[in-house]
This record gives sequence, C-alpha cells and structure tokens, in this order.
Amino acid sequence: MNQIRLYSLVLFIFIIGFWEIIAGNMSELVLPAPTVIFLTLLEGLIDGYFTAHIIRTMLEIVLGLLLGSFLGFAAGIVMGESEFLRKLLSPYVIASQAVPKLALAPLFILWFGFGMTSKVVITALICFFPLLENTVSSIQHVDKQKLELFRMLKANRWQTLIHLKIPAGMPGILAGLRVAVVLAVVGAVVGEFIGGSEGLGALIVASQGMMDTPLMFASLILLTIIGMILYQLVYFVEKRWEKPYMKEKNK
Amino acid sequence: MEFLTMNNLTYGYPGTAPVVDGVQFTIKKGEFHCLLGKSGCGKTTLLKLAAGLLQPDQGSIRLNNKTVTEPSPEAGFVFQSPTLLEWKTVLENVLLPVSLHRKPTEKDQERAAMLLEMIGLSAHQNRYPTQLSGGQQSRVALARALIQKPSMLFLDEPFAALDAITREELQEDLLKICHLQNTTVLFITHDIAEAVYLSDHVAVMEKGRIIYQEKVELEKPRTLKIRYGSYFNRFCLTLRQIMSEGNP
Repeated sequence: MNQIRLYSLVLFIFIIGFWEIIAGNMSELVLPAPTVIFLTLLEGLIDGYFTAHIIRTMLEIVLGLLLGSFLGFAAGIVMGESEFLRKLLSPYVIASQAVPKLALAPLFILWFGFGMTSKVVITALICFFPLLENTVSSIQHVDKQKLELFRMLKANRWQTLIHLKIPAGMPGILAGLRVAVVLAVVGAVVGEFIGGSEGLGALIVASQGMMDTPLMFASLILLTIIGMILYQLVYFVEKRWEKPYMKEKNK
Repeated sequence: MEFLTMNNLTYGYPGTAPVVDGVQFTIKKGEFHCLLGKSGCGKTTLLKLAAGLLQPDQGSIRLNNKTVTEPSPEAGFVFQSPTLLEWKTVLENVLLPVSLHRKPTEKDQERAAMLLEMIGLSAHQNRYPTQLSGGQQSRVALARALIQKPSMLFLDEPFAALDAITREELQEDLLKICHLQNTTVLFITHDIAEAVYLSDHVAVMEKGRIIYQEKVELEKPRTLKIRYGSYFNRFCLTLRQIMSEGNP
C-alpha cells in the first residue's frame, strides 16, 4: 500500500517536471509553467484576490447541492413509495433528464437573473437527478423477507420507510450523493461562465479575456481542490455510515 | 383447547394448481408442531397464511379464537434468513419489535438481556450482525421473535443454512425457551430428523395437502440419546418413505 503511494508521488513529480520542461519552450499564454501557476495562485491567495471568488463558488455549490439533493431525495422517496406517482412521473423525469441541463443555463439566467440564484438553481437541477434515481431504486430493492418482517411487526408505511427502507438504501443513496457532488461543481462553474462577474467560473472567463493563462490555471486548480474536498467529505460520511456493520466484510 | 385452526385453507395463483389446497389443521395450546415437506410443496405459503402475511382464497384461520386477517401481535415469525438489520446492534435488533412502536422500557431492556443470556450472546449485545457467525445471527433472530412474549411462534426453516452441530444447539435453545413460556409453535422444515426431534406432532405436506399426521411419542426433555434410539429412527424412516412415495 505504501509503495503505491510512493509510486503515485513519483508519478506526480514526474508529470510536474515534464510539464515544467515543456512549458519552458512555450509561450506563457499557451502553457504556463507549474512554478508560474503556483506563484500566481499563492499571490492571489495571500492578497485575498481569490477569497471572494472562492466563497461565491463554494456557496453556489453547497447551496445548489443541498437544495438539489434534498429535493431529489424527497422526490425519490415519494416516487419510490407510490407506484402511481412513479408511473405517472417517470416519462417526465426521463425527458427532463435527456435534456442537456447545461443547455438550460441561459434560460435560467433569463429567469433568475445574473445573481447567485440562477447558479444555485442550475446546480440544484443537476444534483437532483442522481439523488432521485438512486433513492427510487434503493428504497424499492429492499430484501423481501425484511419487508415481511416489518409487516409481521405491524409497522406502518412510515415506520417501514424510516426504519427499514431508508437505512437499507443508504449505501445507494450516498453513492448518488457522491455523483451529485462532482456534478455540482460543473453546474456552478457553467452557470458562472454564462453570466456572472463573481466566482471561479467567471474568473476563468475573465482570465481568457485578459489573456492571463496562469490565472486561468490557478482558478482551475482551485476548482479541482474544491471538488476533491467535497468528494472526500461525502466519501468520509459514507465510510462512517458503513463502518460499524461493514467491518467484517472489509477484512 | 384448540389454539390455531386452519379451516379448508386454499391459496393459489390463477391458471395453476393451488399452492395450498384445502388444508385442515389444528394445533392445541402449548404444542410444538412440525410441518415437513419437500421444497415447493406449499409449506412456506401455508405458514404465511397462518401468520396472516397472505390472505387465503378460501377458508379461514383462527388464532386464539380470533379470525386472522392480518399479522397478529400475539405471533412471532422467524424467517429462513436471519433478516437482521445490519445497521443496528444485536441488542437494538432484539428490541426492534418494541422500539418500532414505543420507547423500550427498563423492563424491555431486562427481557432482551435475559433472552440474550439464554441464547448465549450477552457478550455480543453491542456488536453488529455482520460481525456474528451464521448461527449467532439465527439466535438473534430467534430472540427478536420472542421479545414480545408471543403465544404463537411461526418458524420457516430457520436453521436450514446452519451446520449440523450448530443446528442441534439451536434446537435445544428453541425447545428450552418455548417450554419455559408455553409457546405454541408451528415449525416448517425439510429435515426429517429435525422435525421428529423437535415436535409433539409431525405433519407431512405434499402438493398443497397434508397427507400424513402423527404424534411423536418421545420423552421430554429431549436428550442427545433420543436421536440415536430405535423409535426415533423408525419414525424417521416412516416419514422418509411417506415423503418419497407421496402417500402413506
């Protein structure tokens, strides 16, 4: 295990080194060297240039993610529980999923303005579907004997949902959240691309206009870090949830 | 006194022969009945009908003088697999029938501790089901079925997946607990020796009908020696012949 980490580190150093060499022979406009990017990043972080943008993007991602995944989860429960609603709504769900949601971004800007609301809505819409899908299928595929057990124990629908279906479906639901987290970053950034003056996505567009490629790379790195932190956070929650009862299986 | 009565019970799916076909069956209070049959003979369906998990097409079931139309709070059910909730500890699993409806009281906790003690899992009460062996999981499932002191217990091949020695230990535990509480039991199995060893009455089921019923005349409490006695073996042989020939 430790050896793999070592190789991974060696690979990273090798890539950076290779990049540095190549960038030495190129214009900074096309491919800035890692050292230049790093300096830009550091400078921006120290003098607080990035702070407002980071906060803005983070806020959009987190709010969109919370809103979208909560609604997706709730709709998933309703559709998982009611066969009528599932059959009634699923064509619409499939249709709306087939629409490239990022292509709707201009429409949302039109509806919700250039402020934060439109980005949160786009992000929420993107996060909605992975949660919806995973929740619907997770709570439907509960062990039949366990359902019979709950019938035997005279549990009502609500109790069965809370004490059996949701906990049993949790691994699937959390897997949906993991997908949603990554998509949330995409949603927020695309929203900022299309309209906005604040946020890391807007900064990328601005740096293109200013022909400041190192700034663009610095913003990309920040976005990657945000995405990775959020992903790790969900992964951590997932592991915490599974820990007590998956212990034996992991050995 | 008749405790569980099945009257002309029929259940089936349209277009096929009925799975349960006109079953007439009674169990007296405190008796241990085994229902023996090959897989696919309708015994699990019959058990679910008796427990109120399925509704019969024809006929009726009476449990303790009340007609069964839905699962009765007086009855406990042990499934083929332990069906424990992996995210709850052993103790929480045992208390589940209580905690679903109200907050477990001190008395419930005591009873759960007593049951865990009886099945020898006191030391494991704060562990999770996946950390237990198959036999231990079956024991927890048994304790869970008994937490509310059911007067009637339905068991659907609960020990089928266990090794012979563990199965014998669990049979002992089951007999001990049921005897203590004077529980009436309907136990489904395909294991002839298990049926004879456990029960006061054995019935054989085939193609949805009960084709044979006999009282088991063995002393109680059962001992290991009984398993190798001549009466026991003769009884097993008779049942074996009935099961393979399809008629008594």
